[in-house]
Amino acid sequence: MDMEISGSLLNYSLAITILGIFSLFFVPLKFKANLAVLVVLLNVILTSVLAFQVLRGQDFKFTFDAGAMLGPIQIAVDSLSAWFILIINFTSITGALYGSGYLKAYDNPAPKLNLHWALFIVFHLSMVWVCMIQHSLAFLVAWEVMSLSSMLLVIFDSNKPKTLKAGINYLVQMHISVTFLTIGFIWVYFQTGSFSFETIATFFGPNSNIWLFLIFFIGFGIKAGFVPLHTWLPHAHPAAPSHVSGVMSGVIVKLGIYGIFRMITFLKADFLLLGEIVITISVLTGVYGILNAAIHRDFKQMLAYCTIENIGIIGIGIGLGLMGMGNGSAVLYYLGFGGALLHVLNHSLFKSLLFYSAGSVYQQTHTRDMDDLGGLIKRMPKTALLFLIGAIAIGGLPPFNGFISEFILYSGLLEGLKSNNLSEISLLVFTLAGLSIIGGISVLTFTKTFGTIFLGSERKPLEHQPKEVSLIMLLPQYLIVAVMLSIAFLPQFYLNTLDKLLGNMSPMVVPGLSGLSGYSGRIANVNLYFILFIGIIAASWIVRAYAIKGKSQKIEPTWGCAYVAPNNRMQYTGKSFSKSLGKIFSFLLTEEKKYKELEPGEIFPRKRKYESHYLDFFENRLINYVTHHLVYAANYFKFIQNGRTQWYVWYGIVFMLSIFMLTIFNVLK
Amino acid sequence: MLSLILILIASAFFTGIILRVKSMASGRKGPGLFQPVKDVARLFKKGVVYSETTSFVFQIAPTIYFSSVVMAMLVVPFGQSKGFVSFNGDFIFFAYVLALGKFFSIISAMDTGSSFEGMGASREALYSMFAEPAFFILMGSLALLTGHTSFQEIFAALHIGSYISYALAILGTFVLMMVAMVENSRMPIDDPKTHLELTMVHEVMILDNSGFDLGLILTAGYLKFAIYGALVVNLFIGVFPYQYSIPMFFVIQIVLATGVGLIESFMARFRMSHNAQFIFVLTSVSLLIFFGVLMILGKFA
Repeated sequence: MDMEISGSLLNYSLAITILGIFSLFFVPLKFKANLAVLVVLLNVILTSVLAFQVLRGQDFKFTFDAGAMLGPIQIAVDSLSAWFILIINFTSITGALYGSGYLKAYDNPAPKLNLHWALFIVFHLSMVWVCMIQHSLAFLVAWEVMSLSSMLLVIFDSNKPKTLKAGINYLVQMHISVTFLTIGFIWVYFQTGSFSFETIATFFGPNSNIWLFLIFFIGFGIKAGFVPLHTWLPHAHPAAPSHVSGVMSGVIVKLGIYGIFRMITFLKADFLLLGEIVITISVLTGVYGILNAAIHRDFKQMLAYCTIENIGIIGIGIGLGLMGMGNGSAVLYYLGFGGALLHVLNHSLFKSLLFYSAGSVYQQTHTRDMDDLGGLIKRMPKTALLFLIGAIAIGGLPPFNGFISEFILYSGLLEGLKSNNLSEISLLVFTLAGLSIIGGISVLTFTKTFGTIFLGSERKPLEHQPKEVSLIMLLPQYLIVAVMLSIAFLPQFYLNTLDKLLGNMSPMVVPGLSGLSGYSGRIANVNLYFILFIGIIAASWIVRAYAIKGKSQKIEPTWGCAYVAPNNRMQYTGKSFSKSLGKIFSFLLTEEKKYKELEPGEIFPRKRKYESHYLDFFENRLINYVTHHLVYAANYFKFIQNGRTQWYVWYGIVFMLSIFMLTIFNVLK
Repeated sequence: MLSLILILIASAFFTGIILRVKSMASGRKGPGLFQPVKDVARLFKKGVVYSETTSFVFQIAPTIYFSSVVMAMLVVPFGQSKGFVSFNGDFIFFAYVLALGKFFSIISAMDTGSSFEGMGASREALYSMFAEPAFFILMGSLALLTGHTSFQEIFAALHIGSYISYALAILGTFVLMMVAMVENSRMPIDDPKTHLELTMVHEVMILDNSGFDLGLILTAGYLKFAIYGALVVNLFIGVFPYQYSIPMFFVIQIVLATGVGLIESFMARFRMSHNAQFIFVLTSVSLLIFFGVLMILGKFA
């Protein structure tokens, strides 16, 4: 396929989008979701064809002349973009499919659905375009379209004040991110006089790499959710409808990672220092994210914190790769970046799976508090199994895909130990310990969540009996599981793709010399051990089935330790499950309790309420502290904005007069 | 392969020795060495009782738990002879496979809906999480020392030469044994013979398991002891020829089992609420090993 056809693919996709959004308004209510899924699917197919073409070795590049103001806009798809585009496409199509089933359960007026689905289509396409545009200003436009459309998707339940608040919080933080990106791009523009991404590389040549990269890292890091820039995440994800949170958590945060990767391809020096900075932040992000995930009762908020943790894991890979570039070690470069990119894919899969299955639970029970639930495995067995698979995979446990990417990262850390630099070795050993702690707490987090929501018996009577969700909601989840299994059992295919991608990405490392391909034979062997492991499980299961055949099998109540009147409310709750962890880390996990003490004269106690929830350390101590003081300072200028039109006219006159006078007296030239 | 056979033999008497030592320390004669094996054999023949609250998770979990321990056993080497499965970074696989088993044993405890079992599950999750970094720093330091990343290569390359490396081996033994205690829920962390469900960890989690499933869980426990014992043995035998290393294997396993028995007879359990901190201290011991390794390699220059 040549450039012409590739280019026309994009034209088709734009035409389909415009046509699709337009006809969305005329389609009967019942078919709106179907049409939206169709449009997303067509866009997915068109852009995926392009991406596959690129991964096969044919880079795609063209320039689009946007007139005098923007100048020529470079559009390019290299294998890095293609990798991200495919991830975006897969998660978006499963999200659209799942969403079409998810929203059916609620009565939504036509205009709301029109807007929602139109935004979803735009949102998907804008993410794809973010990966393709190589021109700062146009990139910012696409980035902004993505942020705005996703923000409007988040506030779907706009009648809830909490949702609106989360949406505004997201909006503000995204614009702080844009501010940083703009500063970075303008800096490059003033130094080089061009908005093309290529000039970032020319900027990095003679100038210091650290500061500009850090500015971009902050800008993209807010999107990705690195601590302490993560505070929008735990608000926005639970507030959004589940298919949107699945896509947001699965891919939108990954675009922050994409941005960081894109900047890394331009870097020229200071790799080692930047790698050390990134790896340190990432370990903190990972540990902090999973600690918070462990204690929260709101299962969607738990998943949001868990996303922060996984961003940390990805960041560890990025840091390792940077250190590899700094040391000129190809193995480290491949293992670090390869592990990070594979984990980007893996996380997009299991996190969207978890959000979808959690969404199914929410749709059926209308609560996000896991301590109100219990025993759902009997009512929703398929959803329970899907959630269980996601929970095992996200903990990096064998035999699922999470282990493959974490294993690559561990291998990278161990390879890095061969360095001669004391500080590097120490950092890597601490990272090793951090990664293992993350793994340990994630087992705690997900056993807690799965156990509390799905196992035991129901803790509170629900108004509606929950039942298994429709096939249209289950189907995308099965698809995700299929892809996850393909990564776990056929990693060779994905590793070869990554190998080529990384070979293209940086000219400084000779591809194939001792990269992933050298290592991947070994890593791909892990799938043989997976098969062996499953064989052992199957063999033990058969022996067990044979051994208990014909023997008595009785069903009795749970042993209550001699207590004869247990009830469902006495079950261990999620909150108590993670209480001891919360206590140990109480310096980081602030618990806020609201209750009234018993007063001295109160002989007959009345009904009282007890409330406790955990606060985000950084939001509570850092962000709120700063905003509080900003508001305090801003209060002194309140008199300026006093709401009287006369004053505002007066300001205008004063402003114009002063400009006039200053010009006359030659103060302004 | 050799390690597999040795571990299987050791697991047959390890728990028996602990019981025997405990009985002797309290002035009783005690059961025979193979009583635990006989107990399991008896359980395998029995029928099962399931709780009415449980789901398929409860039935499948003991099998997966057992299989995970078997899989971990296949990774353990013996001196210069490799384990059944050996590759670079296999100790990561070892830890993660065991974690999968733990995952299932925890959710199977929660499946019963019993508050006691939930409590045990929560403790198990917490303690094993704190033990994790100690193991990884230990193995990372050994990898740094030897320049290899698989169990067998690391152990084969460990040379007990200088005083520092003796100290390292002893510290390593301490860490591995404490991790084994956490993994097996034995004395300083958990008292398997306590009579109150509120103070149990592992025992309370398997309250509702019976028959074949309970047998699997107990067998997995015996195997786990022998596996960690074998890891400790590996710290010392290096590349000794078999005629020395195989007797050494059994001597060290018996010494360890006796040690566990004596600890359980003469020591009280740590305070439950401070257990997590005690376990975390292991990480600092591992860090000592790490600094020791840096000293041997002369990285402090």
